[in-house]
Amino acid sequence: MEQVAAGTISEPLDLVKLSLGERVFIKLRGDRTLTGNLHAYDAHMNLVLSQVEENIHIVDVGEDGTAAPPRIERRGFEMLFIRGDSVILVSPLLE
Amino acid sequence: MSGGFFGFNSAFPERRNDSSSQSKPPFPGFQADHVDQAFGIGQGAEEDVAVYTWGQGLDDALRDAHDDFNHETFGVDPRGLGTDFQFAAPKQTAAPSKTSGKPRGPIASTQSRYKPKPVADPFAMSEDDFYSSRVTKSVPKKPVDTKAKPSKLSSAAGGSLWNKPNVAPSQLWGTQPTSVARPEAVAPPGQVAPQTFQRPVGHIKTLEEIEAEMAGIDLEPLTHQPQLPQQPRILSLEEIEREMMTTTPIPPMSQPPPPLPPQPILPPPSLPVQSLLSPPSRPDSTPTVPLPGSGYASGHALLDSIFPQLGATPRPDLPPAHLGPASEPPLPPQPSPEELARLDALRKRVAAKIESMSRYNHTMGSSDKDYITRMQLSQLVTDDPYTSDFYAQVFSAIKRSRLAAEQADEKTAVVQIAPGAALSVSAPTESRFGKMGSKTMQRLSTQVKRLVDSRAAHKKTMDSGRFDGYVFEGRLIFLATLKGALGRVSRSGIAAPRPVLAVPVGSKPEHRPTSALNQTSGVHRPALTRKQVMYALEEMYDLVLELEQLRRTQPSPESDEMKAWDEECQLKVEEIWRRLMVMEPLDVSTPHPFIALLNAVKGQRLMPRVLRHLPHSQALTLLTLLIATYPQLDVIAHAPPPPVADASLLNKMDRVERARREAETDCFLQCVVPGMDMLISTCNLGLVAGLLNICTQKMPNLKQVASTRPGVALFTALLSRAQSLIRVPPADPNNPQPIPGPDPAEVDHWQRTFAYFLHLILPHLPELFPASVAQKAAFGPGAYLLGGEGVGEKESLEMERREAEVWGLAAALAVNAPEEEQTNLVAALRDKILHTVQGARNPVTPPFKAEMRLRNVNMFLHGLGLDASMIE
Repeated sequence: MEQVAAGTISEPLDLVKLSLGERVFIKLRGDRTLTGNLHAYDAHMNLVLSQVEENIHIVDVGEDGTAAPPRIERRGFEMLFIRGDSVILVSPLLE
Repeated sequence: MSGGFFGFNSAFPERRNDSSSQSKPPFPGFQADHVDQAFGIGQGAEEDVAVYTWGQGLDDALRDAHDDFNHETFGVDPRGLGTDFQFAAPKQTAAPSKTSGKPRGPIASTQSRYKPKPVADPFAMSEDDFYSSRVTKSVPKKPVDTKAKPSKLSSAAGGSLWNKPNVAPSQLWGTQPTSVARPEAVAPPGQVAPQTFQRPVGHIKTLEEIEAEMAGIDLEPLTHQPQLPQQPRILSLEEIEREMMTTTPIPPMSQPPPPLPPQPILPPPSLPVQSLLSPPSRPDSTPTVPLPGSGYASGHALLDSIFPQLGATPRPDLPPAHLGPASEPPLPPQPSPEELARLDALRKRVAAKIESMSRYNHTMGSSDKDYITRMQLSQLVTDDPYTSDFYAQVFSAIKRSRLAAEQADEKTAVVQIAPGAALSVSAPTESRFGKMGSKTMQRLSTQVKRLVDSRAAHKKTMDSGRFDGYVFEGRLIFLATLKGALGRVSRSGIAAPRPVLAVPVGSKPEHRPTSALNQTSGVHRPALTRKQVMYALEEMYDLVLELEQLRRTQPSPESDEMKAWDEECQLKVEEIWRRLMVMEPLDVSTPHPFIALLNAVKGQRLMPRVLRHLPHSQALTLLTLLIATYPQLDVIAHAPPPPVADASLLNKMDRVERARREAETDCFLQCVVPGMDMLISTCNLGLVAGLLNICTQKMPNLKQVASTRPGVALFTALLSRAQSLIRVPPADPNNPQPIPGPDPAEVDHWQRTFAYFLHLILPHLPELFPASVAQKAAFGPGAYLLGGEGVGEKESLEMERREAEVWGLAAALAVNAPEEEQTNLVAALRDKILHTVQGARNPVTPPFKAEMRLRNVNMFLHGLGLDASMIE
């Protein structure tokens, strides 16, 4: 138990590793956020997620240039590969 | 991902939905049936895809025989693939007008991907070699491919052709625990019924059986490609491993042939014959500038000079109507003029597209392609192909076993480049490498080996700081190969001076500072944090993976390495045992560190994989600890609350929370409970009594434990195991030796323990039934809905199944109870029995539900020698 209690995180990606198999929240470029089960990742932050829900945050601009209140569009995917260059943030989804 | 792989829930669900893929074939452009949609006006999005039908203009150049590589191009098993995407196939009726009078357009060089080059390519060193060198041999090998299909798959094959690959992967790894756990975890009532109590006796399900069951459950609704006689099924871990082990790596070449000299541009003697057999598929109207050192360009010029008539193909921009019809074989009924016009426009668009694309023809010479192939292949070379490409290996093992019924082909999963370096080939019998002759394979191996070697040498120079990359041109090019072509992050000195993400690879040293915890004198410690648990689990996964890998590389039993291997395995198992923290004092923390591991879903999934490696004594210790700390489990302490009648009563957070807890419970029942059952089924009576004693001693809240599904499962397993041990089986006529009965002292111990257990649980027995609990928890209008017909059929079925679990426990209590206690048992459950039987006899109750309820009650009553029909 001491050994485990003393387990160290030596690099940032170790933190992502801890979330393997867990549900994570991911922020992407283009005003998108995802939640899903993290299956795999690599050094580029390419990710494989399952049971993904994508939220796209959209602000519609009317003819006269006034912005409508932001709305959220939702999509679901069963399995998704995310290219790392669009990933902004990965965080465990804790209740 | 480490968790889901063998937890069998990382399904590949991407295309499980058959209906959606049916309506939307992934590559509409390839099918004659869908050609209208693919090329239709207003389908702009499809336009780029349509480019890939360049072969369209080649009436006679595309032949059936060249289907051989379709599976590589399209990722589809060719045996299931018709030829109906070949617009030139002679008897295709799907799009008859397509074959009439088409010009032979210029063919972009990418066509080599889709259609092999003429066989006698003199430049066998090139990449295209891989595609073409064995074509003539493979054609006679599989005449079925070319002949049988067109008739079978002419038009009806539309969606199904392309759906096929979807079927396979989704089943390989099973499905979500939620879908599996229920039918699986809930033993069919008939089996738990007292008469058939033999089930848990010698035969609590093994992992394999469970997997087989899962397969049975999951595969039912799925259709499968008709070509394969054998239904796909989930392979167990063992089967996969066996299959992986049967693969024989190509032995490393003893003597790599010397580097090949530049190829002389001379056609081999066989060229004329073979090229007559297969007219060159790239009549090349755009003049190509012969690149110096470009083997293809110069070679092609040579071909043209040999066969000038072949080079003189018509220009592509001729209207297609000018050609053809006269020379065509008798045609099926002519299509309507509009259709003709549409097809004409279509053809023009395709021709224009090809024209625009052909600008880039031959920008890469064969040496360039060659270079890239080598570079890419060299990236795949690893010193341990089984580990590095583990998933590919498992996948190919599964695929192989599926194909094994049809073809007993040579099995090559790993191409050995050199000792200690190899690359794995995933597609088994049909692979590109399988088609390549051994000679080509050898040449490739040499080349890649050279590349790998020189890279290693290069790395060394770089590391020692004497890098002179820019001096020689050769070096300069070499630098490019170092920059991870396939996503590998490599550190290069000059091109990218700053180290990229410094990801340490290989075994990282375990730097664990002596914990401050060591200094604390007390035995009690704070519980592990979630982060620590996750960290420990990841390390555990690594260990288990290493151990599994080690087991796969078992040397032959006679050899000397056997002992070393054995010791290594032992060491690993010990390490895993240590990391499981089972031997920590029972009250070291709350929850116990081992339970903390099991509380994570990841840890639950790991458990069956760990259990197979542990020696029996350790496994029993683990079981004891698990039972002693059972109340600390999340699935017990935070069991999902009883269902409510109306989901709209819950807010979103509640729903999510409930779903999460349900999923956790399902996972526990699926991953941990079977292992537990298996261990319990090996215990003798004394041990079972001891375990039940632990339950009564260590579970102050026995009722709470018993009101959860894992708790019910545990108690049922213990009680039924005891019963099967006490009941001496009738003497076997074939085996005159009387089977020794259980030790009277043990029986006595058991009876005392059981009496106490029954005493504890009896008052709470009616409250254990989930339906009763839900009824109680419901309020307001919900109370009416519950149990009524307003509830969804699925929910009520699920409820009946869970009721069955508790009835099973009640039955296990009944058969174990002495007579006077049986009366008490019936008295305790009297209301519940009457209610259930009346509910079942109510004409409003749907028959399937009534039947289930009666079966549930009878499960219990039969244990007492009664039957529901006796109740008025």
